[in-house]
Amino acid sequence: MSENSTAIPRASCVLVSGGSRGLGLALVQDALDAGAKVATFARTITPELEKLADDRPDDVHIGSVDITDEKAVRTFIKEAAAHLGPIDALVNNAAIGQDSLHVHTSPERIAAIVATNLTAPLLVVRAFLRHAMAKSGRGRIVMVTSVCAQRGYSGLVTYSATKGGLDSAMRTLAREMHGRFLVNSVAPGFFASEMSSVLGTEQLSTITRRTPTGRLVEPENIAPVVRSLLFDDTNINGQVLTIDGGGSI
Amino acid sequence: MTTLPRDQVRSMMGEVLAAQGKELPAEDGALLETIGFRSLDFSELALRVEDELDEELNFDAPGLRSIETVGDVLTFIDQLQQA
Repeated sequence: MSENSTAIPRASCVLVSGGSRGLGLALVQDALDAGAKVATFARTITPELEKLADDRPDDVHIGSVDITDEKAVRTFIKEAAAHLGPIDALVNNAAIGQDSLHVHTSPERIAAIVATNLTAPLLVVRAFLRHAMAKSGRGRIVMVTSVCAQRGYSGLVTYSATKGGLDSAMRTLAREMHGRFLVNSVAPGFFASEMSSVLGTEQLSTITRRTPTGRLVEPENIAPVVRSLLFDDTNINGQVLTIDGGGSI
Repeated sequence: MTTLPRDQVRSMMGEVLAAQGKELPAEDGALLETIGFRSLDFSELALRVEDELDEELNFDAPGLRSIETVGDVLTFIDQLQQA
């Protein structure tokens, strides 16, 4: 028998890592539009995020935090909860890209990508769960991973490994949390943001040509899926939802 | 390190169960299986205690496997705080 027979409540306060620009910023805005409070951090606070926090001081908490600084992340969560109330959802979005063949990627760069894209998100999940289990007891987690975790793209070996690692951790967490937390991944294909600038024009045009919908993914395509995972009673748990116009089929 | 008295931990345990519409019996000998107190409930209780203490109480899973009763939970938390 399942441990919980009732639906996990919709998110009321969402922590978004890397919410200062691009997809992260779109997800912050979307969660606010859906009626949630949002805490978000990034290495550098952009004017757009600053404005959001100024416009909605009661609903938004921002901080300049490096995701690899575990102590700073824990402090941020504590301060955000004191400001906004208990945090019951996490969008693990922060990541750095890669644009180098594996043989030409330095060990230091490999370590940095793993630290930012895999180790740090796992520690953010840990810190979030420790907070949320003690406060609300239930909640939702969305990992922003990548189609790279499922298909091979030249120049993205370590990046792909970290995203695949997060997808694996996501499934195990969904099992480990026994339905108290819905844990899922959204795996965007390549979209025309800063992250996809790691691909050359030729590679992007090949991907576009091979995508049945004929267009690359935009943050606006990802946001509704994340919104549903955060706010709807979908009962989706332990899944990777790939959003790539069918490019990976 | 500050420690929480057994009574306070017991009432926190009651809160964890109450959030699921369950009740904590008065007897320390009550079986966890009977009252529906599962491993994640223990984690939640430990995190609530940590929150009060502002200290982490990390422990390995095998230590939990011998816990069967309400009293065992309270004793285990007590031991974690003393460690």
